Amino acid sequence: MRKIALLCGVALVAAGCGGGGPSTSGGGKLSDDKVVFGVLNDQSGVYAQLSGKNSIKAVELAIADYKAKYGDKAVAKNIVVEAADHQNKPDVANAKAAELYDRKAVDAILDVPTSSAALKVADVAKEKKKLYFNITAATMDLTGKSCNKYTFHYAYDTYMLANGTGKTVTDQGAKSWYLVYPDYLFGQDMTASFEAAVTKAGGKVVAKDPAPFPNASGDFSTYLLKAPNLNPKPDVLGTMQAGAELVALVKQYNEFKLREKGVGLAVGLMFLTDIHSLTPDALAGTTYTDAWYWNYDLRNREFADRFFQATGTRPTFAHAANYSAALQYLEAVQANGTDDADTIVKYLEGRTVEDVFLRSGKIRAEDHRVVHDAYLAKVRSSKEVKEPWDYVDVLKTIPAADAFRAPSADCKL
Amino acid sequence: MLQHVFNGLVGGSFLALVALGLAVIFGMLRVVNFAHGAIYMLGAFGALALTGEAFWAALVVVPVGLGLLGMVLERTVVNRLARLDPLYNFLLTFGLTLVLQDLVKWRYGVQSSPYPTPAGLGGSVDFGLFDFPAYRVFVLVVAAIVCFGVWFLLSRTRLGLIVRACTERPELSAALGVNVGRWVTPVFGFGVALAGLAGVLAAPMRAVHPLMGADLIIVVFAVVVIGGLGSIFGSVAAAFAIGVLQALSEAYLDSALVSQILVYVVMAAVLLWRPSGLFGREESPA
Amino acid sequence: MLHIEELSASYGEAKVLTSAGLSVAQGEVATLCGRNGAGKTTLLRCVMGLHPGSGKVSLNGTDLRGRKPFERARLGLGWVPDDRGAYATLTVAESLALPPMRSGWSLEQIYEAFPNLYARRGSMSTKLSGGEQQMLALARALRMGSRVLLCDEPTEGLSPLLVQRVGEILRQAKQQGIAVLLVEQNLHFAAEVADSYYLLASGRVQQTSPADKDLLTYLGV
Repeated sequence: MRKIALLCGVALVAAGCGGGGPSTSGGGKLSDDKVVFGVLNDQSGVYAQLSGKNSIKAVELAIADYKAKYGDKAVAKNIVVEAADHQNKPDVANAKAAELYDRKAVDAILDVPTSSAALKVADVAKEKKKLYFNITAATMDLTGKSCNKYTFHYAYDTYMLANGTGKTVTDQGAKSWYLVYPDYLFGQDMTASFEAAVTKAGGKVVAKDPAPFPNASGDFSTYLLKAPNLNPKPDVLGTMQAGAELVALVKQYNEFKLREKGVGLAVGLMFLTDIHSLTPDALAGTTYTDAWYWNYDLRNREFADRFFQATGTRPTFAHAANYSAALQYLEAVQANGTDDADTIVKYLEGRTVEDVFLRSGKIRAEDHRVVHDAYLAKVRSSKEVKEPWDYVDVLKTIPAADAFRAPSADCKL
Repeated sequence: MLQHVFNGLVGGSFLALVALGLAVIFGMLRVVNFAHGAIYMLGAFGALALTGEAFWAALVVVPVGLGLLGMVLERTVVNRLARLDPLYNFLLTFGLTLVLQDLVKWRYGVQSSPYPTPAGLGGSVDFGLFDFPAYRVFVLVVAAIVCFGVWFLLSRTRLGLIVRACTERPELSAALGVNVGRWVTPVFGFGVALAGLAGVLAAPMRAVHPLMGADLIIVVFAVVVIGGLGSIFGSVAAAFAIGVLQALSEAYLDSALVSQILVYVVMAAVLLWRPSGLFGREESPA
Repeated sequence: MLHIEELSASYGEAKVLTSAGLSVAQGEVATLCGRNGAGKTTLLRCVMGLHPGSGKVSLNGTDLRGRKPFERARLGLGWVPDDRGAYATLTVAESLALPPMRSGWSLEQIYEAFPNLYARRGSMSTKLSGGEQQMLALARALRMGSRVLLCDEPTEGLSPLLVQRVGEILRQAKQQGIAVLLVEQNLHFAAEVADSYYLLASGRVQQTSPADKDLLTYLGV
């Protein structure tokens, strides 16, 4: 008799693992009775400040909002956040992603900066058939040749940055460009996107130089010496460096007095935390494209205030996008009563979404690009900064329809 | 061309100061101090802690303070490694690096911290053919003075005579009546102070963040190996040479990969040609 | 003067010395012979404190156990190593100035006795010829005022003329009451200077003489 009971138990467990068995809880059809987010990012390196541990806080805010909204009616009662540090290394990202999905029962991986690492995680998501919202990587390949059914590219990409900054700065009269980029996937991608955007706007790239990555000495003076002596002399130096390297390059740009020598500065990718590190004066007047700005309107500000209470800093666009992705995922679970990956993907595809981060947001079915309004911003001088962290003026909104490229033929879902 | 060479010399200045300290320490203690990069980073954060206006004070106070810290570290932990497998000194100094980095992360966060160019050095110096940021000229002058000072100390004083002898052949020097142990702690402190000085100098022109030393130290190791482990002159010469080579390769070659791996290629070539480095000597058998 | 008793030492796993003993009196040149690898150099290094060994070593009645090499040098041990102890970064003059005790020969005496060293006093020590390096090592020990010279094969690789010169210097030292523990393979040279002979074999030392057939056959002379 006991044996039979045991066999029944085994059968039940096996059925449960298969996902088709009857659920024993009353809450709904959730795997393991809970929803698990996996925040996979750089927690101690160059990108730790712009996303890092505060991305986890952002996801926790989304969970709190979801619970407050649905209360007893919430399908997901037990929501867990697992975090892992991928150290910006593709192989580590690969292993951690598999561990999160398999051992930590993660339903959706979020964040993942560093393009090469982000692509590895996309492969893992495809293999495990689990959801993956990439927030902080820029590579177009996520919605190009490496796209897959379970991967969504959420916040921004190199096209968005180049199209915004490259086009606008060229339109404003800076026709000739000198591009300096870190010599890895992200930098190469950015440079190609910028060159295309600049050329399309009637400008010309007179020179482009790959800089060692990672740059061990933190010294970019060679390029800064070279810039004013190029023939023809460039109107603007476009830097694709990110994080600490951007900080070093801008510092040295000012040291070499290039603005006084008639070479302006355009920054490919910049986060709020970079401006904070450099102090706004080091960047004053620099134009760049932002996916979201915390003091753009009251709605953003309200979120930023809550974020500030939790972390002591204002959110970057990456933080806001992590919040948004977690929230939209939970809404999808609520609407469908399940966290089954295929059901959620089907629900999200083609959907129009709106929240504090996603303005005029739409999740494209063709390539899983999440499109939304982007913003062209200009850094203030310290005299114009009235409030800590309020470093930029938003010059204009780039409508969602123009901000991102059309779906690529390379992507076959 | 000339300005790139000049710029390379500035880059070489940092390598030289850090490598010089590393070479002096290795020579005297036979300890490869992996924590040297973290000390460089501490130097920059030390300057930060004293705030920008106090740059001139930081230039003196921070290296001296770090030198003292170095002496304490030598007395308390490093000297216990003298007779052990070199693996242990790797583990200790590497562990020390992680501890120092995390302490700084804990206090300052991982982002880069702002640091202004010191007052009076914000301008440019006109060299006729080209002009150059005054601060960089200052860095080069300081590095040259320090390297010359160390050279003078080593080659023209009794202290230098003893340090050279102990660096080259510690055992023989002991057998000739020199109390090698007595010089170990101050030399360690001095080497550490040099890295700290390089860090202070780096604060106004490079990104100040907890990993800045970890990135630099790898190149410095290559430089020290090229110059010859323990060879003081070799390390300095190799540092400036690599600085110039790197600047020129960045300026005139279209591949970042080449400038990135250049230092290691040079290292490999030198090791094949002269296994003990350009100015190094084979260790004498025991 | 120098007294060694029951000295044992290992080199890695191998036991090189087992209960070795010998003594050298003031003004005496004691020659230590033995095959290559018998442990002669290790014995000298133990006396100098450069190699760990157990047993008793005393100098002029002072127990050297637990004393560091530099203390032993200051007590009067003169180190003339087999590699001649030349520095690549020290000139000849600097090499002579390095030891902190300079109670022996004056610099004038040294340069008078070694005119070559005077001529090359500005050169780096390792740039000297082998013979000059050997002279420098001896000169350094004499300048220090060492009471016992530990000489490890000072004639190896030298021309007959130079070997003769080394012999003259050792005899001169001997006249000044300096004791010499000489490790030497060249028995013809040893015969010119030595007062006593010891054979190191199988980790033990036994007193012997050059007439001893066993010694000669042992060394293959």
